[in-house]
Amino acid sequence: MNGLIQTLSDILNNYGLRQEFAIRACFYSLAVLACIFGLGVVTLRNIFHCAISLAMTLFCIAGIYLFLNAEFLAAVQVLIYVGAIVTLFLFAIMLTAKIGDRSIRQTNKQVLASLAVSAAILSLFVSIIIGSPWKKAAADDTLRLGIGELGKALMSVYALPFEAISLILLAALVGAIVIGKAGK
Amino acid sequence: MMIPQSHFLILGAVLFALGLYGALTRRTAIGILMSIELVLNAANINLITFNRFLGSPDGLGQIFALFVIAIAAASAVVGLVLVIAVYRNMKTIFTDKINLMKW
Amino acid sequence: MVKYAHLIPLFPFIAFAINILFGRRLKKASAVISITASTISLAIAAVTYAGFLKGGGSYAVGRWLSFGGIPLDFGVTVDGLSCMMLMVVTIVGTLIQVYSVGYMHDDKRFSRFFAYLSLFMGSMLGLLLSDNFVMLYIFWEGVGLCSYLLISFWFERPAAAKAGMKAFITTRIGDTGLLIGILLLFFSAKTLYFRDLGHLGINDALLTVIALLIFCGAVGKSAQFPLHVWLPDAMEGPTPVSALIHAATMVAAGVYLVARTYGLFIAHHGALIWVAYIGAITALMAATIATVNNDIKRILAYSTISQLGLMMLALGVGGYEGGTFHLMTHAFFKALLFLCAGSVIHAVHTQDIFKMGGLLGKMKVTGWTFIIGSLAIAGVPPLSGFWSKDEMLSEILREGHPFLFAIAVITSLLTAFYMFRLIFVVLFGKPRSELHAHESPAVMTIPLAVLAVFSVFAGFFKPVKVEYFMLGVSMFIVIGGIGTAYVFYILGNKVLPASVRSKFSFLYKIILNKYYIDEIYEAALIRPCMSLAKFAASFDLRFVDGAVNLTAYLSMIAGRIQSWFDKYIVDGAVNMVANITWLCSAVFRRLQTGFIQNYILIAFLGLAIMILIKLIGGY
Repeated sequence: MNGLIQTLSDILNNYGLRQEFAIRACFYSLAVLACIFGLGVVTLRNIFHCAISLAMTLFCIAGIYLFLNAEFLAAVQVLIYVGAIVTLFLFAIMLTAKIGDRSIRQTNKQVLASLAVSAAILSLFVSIIIGSPWKKAAADDTLRLGIGELGKALMSVYALPFEAISLILLAALVGAIVIGKAGK
Repeated sequence: MMIPQSHFLILGAVLFALGLYGALTRRTAIGILMSIELVLNAANINLITFNRFLGSPDGLGQIFALFVIAIAAASAVVGLVLVIAVYRNMKTIFTDKINLMKW
Repeated sequence: MVKYAHLIPLFPFIAFAINILFGRRLKKASAVISITASTISLAIAAVTYAGFLKGGGSYAVGRWLSFGGIPLDFGVTVDGLSCMMLMVVTIVGTLIQVYSVGYMHDDKRFSRFFAYLSLFMGSMLGLLLSDNFVMLYIFWEGVGLCSYLLISFWFERPAAAKAGMKAFITTRIGDTGLLIGILLLFFSAKTLYFRDLGHLGINDALLTVIALLIFCGAVGKSAQFPLHVWLPDAMEGPTPVSALIHAATMVAAGVYLVARTYGLFIAHHGALIWVAYIGAITALMAATIATVNNDIKRILAYSTISQLGLMMLALGVGGYEGGTFHLMTHAFFKALLFLCAGSVIHAVHTQDIFKMGGLLGKMKVTGWTFIIGSLAIAGVPPLSGFWSKDEMLSEILREGHPFLFAIAVITSLLTAFYMFRLIFVVLFGKPRSELHAHESPAVMTIPLAVLAVFSVFAGFFKPVKVEYFMLGVSMFIVIGGIGTAYVFYILGNKVLPASVRSKFSFLYKIILNKYYIDEIYEAALIRPCMSLAKFAASFDLRFVDGAVNLTAYLSMIAGRIQSWFDKYIVDGAVNMVANITWLCSAVFRRLQTGFIQNYILIAFLGLAIMILIKLIGGY
């Protein structure tokens, strides 16, 4: 458990709530919020609202990461996803679609089929997840990966994928500039 | 750890299903891209969850999640640039209207 | 030096091949080729003649054919007759080709004309050299073909095209007789050589029939009665052609044939007397027609028929020497006369003698050579015509045919008359119409002069004993004929001929209409033939075509059935396959929406199903 959650549970303890309950409450509320905002991403008519909803979902997921001892990834999630990608989406929306035009239908004709398939997949996954014998507790609760350890791992064991990713990013950068260049 | 692993996985599954639904039903390319971001995040949740519960000493799951974020960023950039380029030429962002090369 | 004789026809044939293949490029040079070839032939002919005089004779070049075990050599005849005719044909032919250079100089088919002339020369020389009937028949048809081609040389003119057909069909009648005769001879006597004709050893009746059939060919080719009708019309051809083919050489081939097969005729007087009477009828008839005709070339054509008739008459009574002698002399002076007529036509562009007149002053060479030729044909001593005609007349009398002799004398008298009628009308008197006559170029007048020389002196090639009676007869003929013509056309001018014409108007009309022979043929032969043809055509149309149409109709029905079968069974099977494919595709095409989200949906549906199967099936 990291310091933030510890502090949060301390505060909750002060109000007579048990730490465990507090942590659970935090997690489930974040999870439910993530699901609600996720639903908003895929169902809202106004695409601008969808983007905002996406940002909120990503925030919630960043919060979920904290429960998984991944503070660095949570930070990265907020920085890159919320800060960069969602901003990019907003720019794209503003450059293309007319904001607030509610009359435009945002879904295609296979809503029901998609709903059925998604629901089926979800129910199957859930049934598998529930039916699987998971470990009750973490292997090593004290194992903690700090930024330093991650950085070392990236630069040593995962140096090659790291370089490949950098190459992909460069290619995407160049491609985006070339494709997005206006006119000829 | 008081929250069981399966709950994280179920959250991932729900987000995945939502993303899938969005990717299947959205008419606009931007909407589809956003739905795909949801799917990717669901995957990330799973990766980190397994990293946490299975205990990987060198942080394999987290590093993979990092890579996924990087690739998601790249795909988003390229996808959005394509959307803008298509919009510039076709004056629409609806995928079912972009049918110039279809029979 | 006789052994090169077989090369004589070769050079004209080579010239023909060159001219017909490369004529377009050669243009005027084709004349040079033809004349060169003829000159070479002339040289070889002269060499052959010299060799013959030294004692050469016929020879065989090699084995040619074998008919049912009977061999036939490719041989050449070298004797007095063939040598004489070879010389005549090569000399006259060469001169006429030279003349043609001038006469045809602006014709658009100049080289074609010379090609045909060369083909004719080759065929004619081959005909003269043949030593058997097969070769003779081939070349015989060859000259007939050339005659047809050259008569209708200006085929743009309907009259010329028609005249060509008439000549070809008319001579064809005679040729058919000749062919039957040859076949009869071959099947009865098993020989085709001329040298065997004297001793065939088959019965007389058959031989007579064979002889008459061969004579049929001669009648057709030499334009004898009753097949003479084509020759006047043949004058539609270019004048050099008339001179070469229809005066000097080809028409003489008939006489030559009779002379060549004389052994056959002489053994059977039954056949020979036919020759004599046909000749007599032809000679008299043609001579009378010539006296009233106004077309310069037709007068000469009738004159040719008449002279050929005289030759036939002479041959028919046994006068071989006189007939063949006249054949030679006639070739020279008749060629000369035709060339003169051509020169005149070339100058005045008309053929009607009564539109000419007084041309002697304007065309000196042509005029004088014309007069020389006329004197020769009239039989004025000592020109060539006198000698040959004299010999013919004396032979006819000697063989004991006073009636035929009288006919020959009358014919000769008429010959002198119509020739000088022509001369007086054309060359003397005043011009009868606006004509801008001028002398022809040297290339035309030089052949005239050369032929005139031959016409004068050809009679001396053969030593003839002069009989005073005959000389008297000849003088009577000449003076009578020319004098009458003089009285009629110089002194009487227009009055006397007209009064004579009105006095004998019935006779005049008959003669003017050529004894209505063309009309008789029209009524007796051509119309029945045409109506028979029409009947045949209608039969063809009704029955033959009906049968054909029935067959066609039946095959059409069969075709319909087959097409139905094809359409609904065969095509049906094919279409069924196509339709099944189409139906399947219509169903499965729905899957291929071209809509990516749809594909993703299906993919995840599949994933869901697979997971479900896995779950149900257990791990």
